[in-house]
Amino acid sequence: MHDAPLIGPYNPEDVLAWEADGPRTARQFLSDVSRLADSLPDRPAVLNLLSSRYEFLVGFAAAMLRGQLTLLPQSRAPQTLRRIARDYSESYCLRNQDDPVEGIESVVMRRQGSIAGWPNRIPHIPLDQVAAMAFTSGSTGQPMPNKKTWGALTAVARATGARLQLTTRDRAAVVATVPHQHMFGLEASVMLPIVHGFVMHAGRPLFPADIRDTLADVAGTRILVTTPLHLRACVTAGLRVPPLGLVLSATAPLSRSLAQEAERHFQTAVHEIFGFAEAGSVAERRTTAGNRWRPLDGVRLAQDQAAWTVQADYLPVPVRVPDRITVDADGQFIVHGREVDQINIAGHRVSLGELNQKLLEVEGVQDGIFFLPDEGADLVTRLIACVVAPGKAVEEIQQALRRSIDPVFLPRPLLLVPRLPRNGTGKLPREALLMFARRHAKGLPHET
Amino acid sequence: MTESFASSLERDLASLIVQTLKLKVDPATIDPTQALFGDGLGLDSIDALELSLAISQTYGYQLKSSDPEIKAIFSSLRALANAIEKNRTK
Repeated sequence: MHDAPLIGPYNPEDVLAWEADGPRTARQFLSDVSRLADSLPDRPAVLNLLSSRYEFLVGFAAAMLRGQLTLLPQSRAPQTLRRIARDYSESYCLRNQDDPVEGIESVVMRRQGSIAGWPNRIPHIPLDQVAAMAFTSGSTGQPMPNKKTWGALTAVARATGARLQLTTRDRAAVVATVPHQHMFGLEASVMLPIVHGFVMHAGRPLFPADIRDTLADVAGTRILVTTPLHLRACVTAGLRVPPLGLVLSATAPLSRSLAQEAERHFQTAVHEIFGFAEAGSVAERRTTAGNRWRPLDGVRLAQDQAAWTVQADYLPVPVRVPDRITVDADGQFIVHGREVDQINIAGHRVSLGELNQKLLEVEGVQDGIFFLPDEGADLVTRLIACVVAPGKAVEEIQQALRRSIDPVFLPRPLLLVPRLPRNGTGKLPREALLMFARRHAKGLPHET
Repeated sequence: MTESFASSLERDLASLIVQTLKLKVDPATIDPTQALFGDGLGLDSIDALELSLAISQTYGYQLKSSDPEIKAIFSSLRALANAIEKNRTK
């Protein structure tokens, strides 16, 4: 097998997606894709920034049919977009009318029109075609590209479905709170439904009341693809939701107690996916049943010198696991936490090295460092930054950072200090930083 | 000169925002007409989620992003206070 169809087993009138104004059938989808494919400029790569999950999929599919690579930036920060657009010369961006992007040539998505006939054969995409490029944060401040072939995307979707015992007969409907430009979002909220012939909801609900309403839009076995953050919000708000078949969570570790509360609240099983942008989804567990992860079918873990790597037929080379893990004799594993430099806030992963680099690039900043305090009772633990910048105001530095880093990483608080508590070798031990930040936050005089 | 609070609800809401989101500002200095997101207080969607939970617990009002007025509601402290006043159940 050298190729795979663009969509799974749909009949022409089956609903493929649910948009804000109603259903989109498989026939409408193929018609929208073919029309857009005909109108795209002749370029090698496209930044797909479309906010509707359905329109994103139309853009993604049309790009593949034209042999164009879809670029998935890890953040919407204008600098990040411009840097990627510069690295991929002759790329353009596909965007919504009301969402202009400065400095990048763009094509605006138009409302699609009439429906064409059902094609004799559903388009097929070569398995080795690089369909998407997912970017992760490198410690040097440069975004690191990760190639995703059509073969890898379809294999992960099938393996995930098999593990969750979903079949094409389920006619399930996927509702997701995660962004589709994110690797887990692309795999679980776009690829999983279209490979299995399910309904994909185009929305991206945020508040608990939105999640309830969005679930109510669709019928059949409802699958909620989400994160611990949204689960905590739903459990806290306690709104009644329509019956669910399954909850799938990823992007940050889910605690067993929250998983138990979520299973009670949603009256269904909560499964968790372990993965990272470089390899995609790797393993699954039902969080209430134990802490061990079961690799998806076709995924193997192998030890390569000191580090563990993920291997699969669809990965061109073994991929290093960015977390510290221990692996059992039967191949299941336990995750102990991120390697020191990597942090994850609400599903956005970044290296502290990159953030520090961006901070030091801000005009007037002489020294500075980001760090993550110990977790508290909040939904999300935010970063703190200590910055030496005589004559600069906190707002000026925050403004500059907002242009270069994702908003979830903006420091809270950003503390202006006369100097950092560097030790004899110039290093900044975490304990010293925490104590230093506590004293500053309280307005106490700092030790010299 | 920043505008001052027009009601005790605005003052309470300012304290709720600062407390919930651990902002390093004095609630009394928040301009009720200033933007909450983007360039104003610089809040993001996680803040919106945290804030929506605090508002539903304190005032019994469930925010929805499908509400056609949602952008207007979140545009300033005053707009948010007005929406709470209209929809509160506690």
